[in-house]
Amino acid sequence: MNVQQSDLMPRIIVCLDVDNGRVVKGTNFKQLRDMGDPVELALAYEQQGADELVFLDISASNEKRPTALKLVTDIAKHLSIPFTVGGGLKKLDDVKAFLDAGADKVALNTTAVLQPDIINQTARAYGSQCVVVAIDVNQSENELSFYINGGRKLVDRNCSDWTKEVAERGAGEILLTAMHKDGTGSGFDIELTKAISQQVPVQVIASGGAKNEQHFLEAFQQGADACLAAGMFHTGDYTVSQVKKYLLENGLNIRI
Amino acid sequence: MKKILIIDTKAGNLFSLKASIERLGFLQTVLETPSEEFFDGIIIPGQGRFGTVMKNIRKYGWDKYLSQAREKNIPILGICVGMQIFFESSQEDLGIKGLGWFIGSSQALDFPKKPMVGWAKLHSDIWSNEAVYFVNSYAIKETSLSIATTNYGEEFCAAVRQGSFTGVQFHPEKSSQVGSRIIEQALTNFGAMS
Repeated sequence: MNVQQSDLMPRIIVCLDVDNGRVVKGTNFKQLRDMGDPVELALAYEQQGADELVFLDISASNEKRPTALKLVTDIAKHLSIPFTVGGGLKKLDDVKAFLDAGADKVALNTTAVLQPDIINQTARAYGSQCVVVAIDVNQSENELSFYINGGRKLVDRNCSDWTKEVAERGAGEILLTAMHKDGTGSGFDIELTKAISQQVPVQVIASGGAKNEQHFLEAFQQGADACLAAGMFHTGDYTVSQVKKYLLENGLNIRI
Repeated sequence: MKKILIIDTKAGNLFSLKASIERLGFLQTVLETPSEEFFDGIIIPGQGRFGTVMKNIRKYGWDKYLSQAREKNIPILGICVGMQIFFESSQEDLGIKGLGWFIGSSQALDFPKKPMVGWAKLHSDIWSNEAVYFVNSYAIKETSLSIATTNYGEEFCAAVRQGSFTGVQFHPEKSSQVGSRIIEQALTNFGAMS
């Protein structure tokens, strides 16, 4: 085996936070701003060259469940790139409902921590490729901690141990959000992503802090498998195609 | 209007695949058991384990149905595991026989990060440098029928073609416009038959 021998290309993943059927964007897990219609935005991002989309908090509450499922089906009907849904999936039935409605993958965060066996169950029933475990981490000084409930509740566990555990339980990918970077525009936490990525036999998606094309270039040059961003694309500051053009010009193997 | 049959191997939702056929302007029908109705093309979806898919293919008589379709030169498209089952066996479920149309078996990819998830470029005469979306841990590594390859730790077969059969290891229904074109080519025998 030759580790260098891979035609896999680094992915740009656009995240759409959905609330009440609209795409919203928060800063440091607080204040929400309206960004537009999920299906329209999803299609626009596919056309721009986004490699994947993630819809978060689409399903946050039970009463909104039917609307959320319909939205997922609408997205699947129109989109021909992979997409993940996450937020508020509390049991295996919720996971099944969203995968059956057309989602390619589910992202599990709080539920994965509270009932870790749901990772195994989902992987067994649908395959590891359907399971993304999202981990919201915060680094202050030299201490790395992680949170659930949308960044509000600290988990009293070692973050590295948790990362390894989710991979062992059958997660196909890990979405690592650096809360200390989210909304800051200071770039991805490349060192952290690298450190976590080396500990697990699955791909790690870097998230939090992207503001410009340079941030993607740095992360991919340092070996990141995939990078996720939201705000810089939703605000129209950048299109995915602009970022990809920049990456290509800088010699990266990127899908256009 | 072309009528396309999607075989329901009961191994996952067929939503994306159905939508991708409709986007091409084709009519799609999903069946759990074979019917007498004529179809212009047949798709075996790319979800589930080798063993589960093979079990359902045999249980509902799709093995015979597919052999007959092959004799009639009807376009058949196998996606991911839906391609692998046309070979002899798979390391994913040892002891379960594939349909054995082609010599070879699918084997685990040797790469530290599994499954392989993401877009990769094809090395191919017909689809040179096209990027398509892969999701797999197993693949056919050697076959004389290969029309496209890609690398993940090692080279493997990304697509095969023989007679009216096209098999793709990637997911064309998730590969944007490139994937859409590949589905259309496979279902029309690459324009050789209309």
